Amino acid sequence: MNSSIHLNQLTVDFNEDFELNDIHWTIQANQHWVITGSNGSGKSALAALLAGIGDVKHGTITGLPKRPALVSFEAQAELIARELKKDDADILDVISEGTPVHEILFENCRDSDLANDLIQKFGLQTLQDRAFRKLSTGETRKVMLIRALCSQPDLLILDEPFDGLDADTLTMLQNHLASIVDSIPMVLVLNRFDEMPDFITHVAYMEKSHNDDHIDSGRLALTIDKQDKIAFEELAQLFHLKTTKLTIPGIDTANQLPELDPNQPLVKLTDITIKYGDTVIVDKLNWTIEKGQHWQLSGPNGSGKTGVLSLITGDHPQCYVNDIFVFGFQRGNGESIWQIKQFIGYVSTSLQWEYRVSTSCRNVIISGLHDSIGMYTKPSDKQKAIADQWLALLGMRDRADQPFNKLSYGDQRLLLIARAMVKHPPLLILDEPCLGLDDMNRQLVLALIEKICSGSETTVLYVNHHAEDKINGIENYLALKKS
Amino acid sequence: MANYFNTLPLREQLEQLGKCRFMDSSEFADGVEALKGKKLVVIGCGAQGLNQGLNLRDSGLDVSYALRPEAIAQKRQSWKNATENGFVVGTYEDLIPTADVVLNLTPDKQHTPVVKAVMPLMKQGACLSYSHGFNIVEEGMQIREDLTVIMVAPKCPGSEVRAEYVRGFGVPTLIAVHEDNDPKGEGLALAKAYAVGTGGHKAGVLMSSFIAEVKSDLMGEQTILCGMLQTGSILCFDKMVEEGIDPGYASKLIQFGWETITEALKYGGVTNMLDRLSNPAKIKAFDLSEELKVIMRPLYNKHQDDIIDGTFSRVMMEDWANDDKNLLGWRAETAETNFEKTPAGDVEISEQEFFDNGILMVAMVKAGVELAFETMTAAGIIAESAYYESLHETPLIANTIARKKLYEMNATISDTAEYGCYLYNHACLPLLGDFMKGIKTDVIGKGLDLEDTGVDNARLIEVNAALRSHPVEAIGGVLRGHMADMKKIV
Repeated sequence: MNSSIHLNQLTVDFNEDFELNDIHWTIQANQHWVITGSNGSGKSALAALLAGIGDVKHGTITGLPKRPALVSFEAQAELIARELKKDDADILDVISEGTPVHEILFENCRDSDLANDLIQKFGLQTLQDRAFRKLSTGETRKVMLIRALCSQPDLLILDEPFDGLDADTLTMLQNHLASIVDSIPMVLVLNRFDEMPDFITHVAYMEKSHNDDHIDSGRLALTIDKQDKIAFEELAQLFHLKTTKLTIPGIDTANQLPELDPNQPLVKLTDITIKYGDTVIVDKLNWTIEKGQHWQLSGPNGSGKTGVLSLITGDHPQCYVNDIFVFGFQRGNGESIWQIKQFIGYVSTSLQWEYRVSTSCRNVIISGLHDSIGMYTKPSDKQKAIADQWLALLGMRDRADQPFNKLSYGDQRLLLIARAMVKHPPLLILDEPCLGLDDMNRQLVLALIEKICSGSETTVLYVNHHAEDKINGIENYLALKKS
Repeated sequence: MANYFNTLPLREQLEQLGKCRFMDSSEFADGVEALKGKKLVVIGCGAQGLNQGLNLRDSGLDVSYALRPEAIAQKRQSWKNATENGFVVGTYEDLIPTADVVLNLTPDKQHTPVVKAVMPLMKQGACLSYSHGFNIVEEGMQIREDLTVIMVAPKCPGSEVRAEYVRGFGVPTLIAVHEDNDPKGEGLALAKAYAVGTGGHKAGVLMSSFIAEVKSDLMGEQTILCGMLQTGSILCFDKMVEEGIDPGYASKLIQFGWETITEALKYGGVTNMLDRLSNPAKIKAFDLSEELKVIMRPLYNKHQDDIIDGTFSRVMMEDWANDDKNLLGWRAETAETNFEKTPAGDVEISEQEFFDNGILMVAMVKAGVELAFETMTAAGIIAESAYYESLHETPLIANTIARKKLYEMNATISDTAEYGCYLYNHACLPLLGDFMKGIKTDVIGKGLDLEDTGVDNARLIEVNAALRSHPVEAIGGVLRGHMADMKKIV
């Protein structure tokens, strides 16, 4: 490949059941890319697109390679299908053995010395005379790889090349790829971050995208230069969150919350009003939150979102002059705010601003058990262990003793969500949890919230500026208007 | 009314001055129980009044505000503070007769008229609470015999009392019971519950007496806390400018320097503050502070003497009666100092540079803390009180200077502290005149700038030993140890 490939505002259909949309991507001649992302985000589709597959609907694509080599499950399946079809199409009344392996191997071969060498290395020498379609999946995969490597491609596209290879073959293949980096540009699709070879220079991260016509679709969410260490680490963390099965760490049994009456709503606001001087911000709002009902609260600036929330959390002084029932307490009857706050996990940008203490990441999580900013009691061993499980879940286990205020903004936000969840609160309030975050960190936070919505007993109240910014699993909406 | 302290026999004066004990957290196991269901009426809705009330209400207590009729009729700031926060507001006549506890959180100088107005309205056997004992001790206010009189004094500005509570903590708090007014013997239980309600028990509570609180509080605030920092700011700034240092730099070095160096003081006492300097600079600061202590000791003695025998409060109350003529005049003068008028320059000063280039400031803080502590303990005030009213509070005042310099500092502190601060400043400026003539930029503004930072071993050992063996360091070590157990683990 002598020139760069440009994909501009590209929308591409694949067999009418998958769509890539709004792809902007440039691959320079000297770069080696990994495409990664969650399942169903279109990684393989994007790789295949570079081999000329797909039906371009919008946008432009220039500089596509003339002799690309693509190894993927789809390409493998296609080759096998071709072989099976040959069999079916055979009109001769003889039993067909199908195409022998060596014929397939040398079909497009431009370097037979290399091919013979690789046949040895992949251990296929005894299989050369067998019919291709009789091979096992792993063996056909090896055949595909050799075909591609020996075709002197101008772009080598390998979709999950390391899957199912034994350790020795894996090392051999990686060494071989490393030996050709100067002559052949490569694009690899990988599902595991730790398999990424050192020679990779860039990473493309794919996300599922939401569109209205119910076709599965994906988009290129982020591209990262591997030299940018911080971005790379964040991507690794995002990948971890997206791909690891989340188990919410256990509860500190010594600090268990009082039982709530299951027949009562978590929150019941009746005719509530918030006003400053003569200005009425919220006028006679009624709102009931039942256990298990995830809610999204939205509204423009100044519509009273944060005010309503702080009535629930007890942070608003006007909670004493409104009809508020929370977690079994009718407010203003001698309860303390700590009796209320123990049932709530809370995350907001302003909490992050207030959380300026130079305490460790581990202590930040444990402080959620006390609803305090900073710690004023010594944590138990059990509490430390729980905090460490949370850190592991966030992909931050190695940062337990680092000071919180030295973390990136996005990591701080993730930790505060863990802090809010550590006590398994009946209600988790997320007040614009993505505010001020870049795209990568937004992805991280949303990934964590989706995990929590689906994987815990906690009822989530998600507050967002934009009603259209939705989270999977939330089905109740309250939109406040500016009065 | 006669000065209450002066009516007591020496034996009792000494006993009361010597009261101060750091309470154990187990003493607060009953929480707010003693106040639960009782009616708390706050008088005054300024920074302390509002913020303490917010905390007490959030702790599950019944809080309302009694304001003067004109404050209600004219919808003054205090009325707005209370009503916007959803509190019940009423006149003294409306609310005081229903109160089980009346919290007097008005400024010192209003205490006499306020207490005279509310006392006849209070119901039999109720409790009257103060946050400063000036009215009882210095003005000799006599309280009805059936009433319980307590003091609960958070040792921080009102805004911090609230902010720390919201964070899940509190601020160090001093409590006391006026023994002449504890007819039912419930004063201590009420004071403890009140301290819990404001969150103070999480940061540490000192059990003191009205007298110890007043005499140590006055001494600390007018000498090291406010006076020394004011005088030091003016002298150091003028010296630097005189020696050709950029005024913007000089202004910044002072405005933020006090805060930075006293942060080291807060964590590890005078020893740690001086340990932040290089060895030669440390010895230099030590020598300067010894010199300063000799020059200023008579002034500290005079302040303490005037406080103990009531001269200070008498003179200040004369100014109150004279429409605050002196106070307002001195306040205006402060606004006109060169330091105040020169904004901090847009220069980067690293944390360490504040120490390295502020050796004289370190020496001034050391001299002031040690002198105040020595003078207070010599006058019979127990070391615990003396520590809190000198070393412990210095960073808090330094913090207000960092925010908005001297004028703001003086506006934040009480009128009583402000009056004492000016008295100190006027006496101290000329007192240090000759001393300052010998000062050059090596100790303020530029640092020692030595090629060789070597020092004589014997001299360094001597200095280190002197620093570490000062009595303020001994008690400081003990109290900071207690606090670290209770306060945030940093």
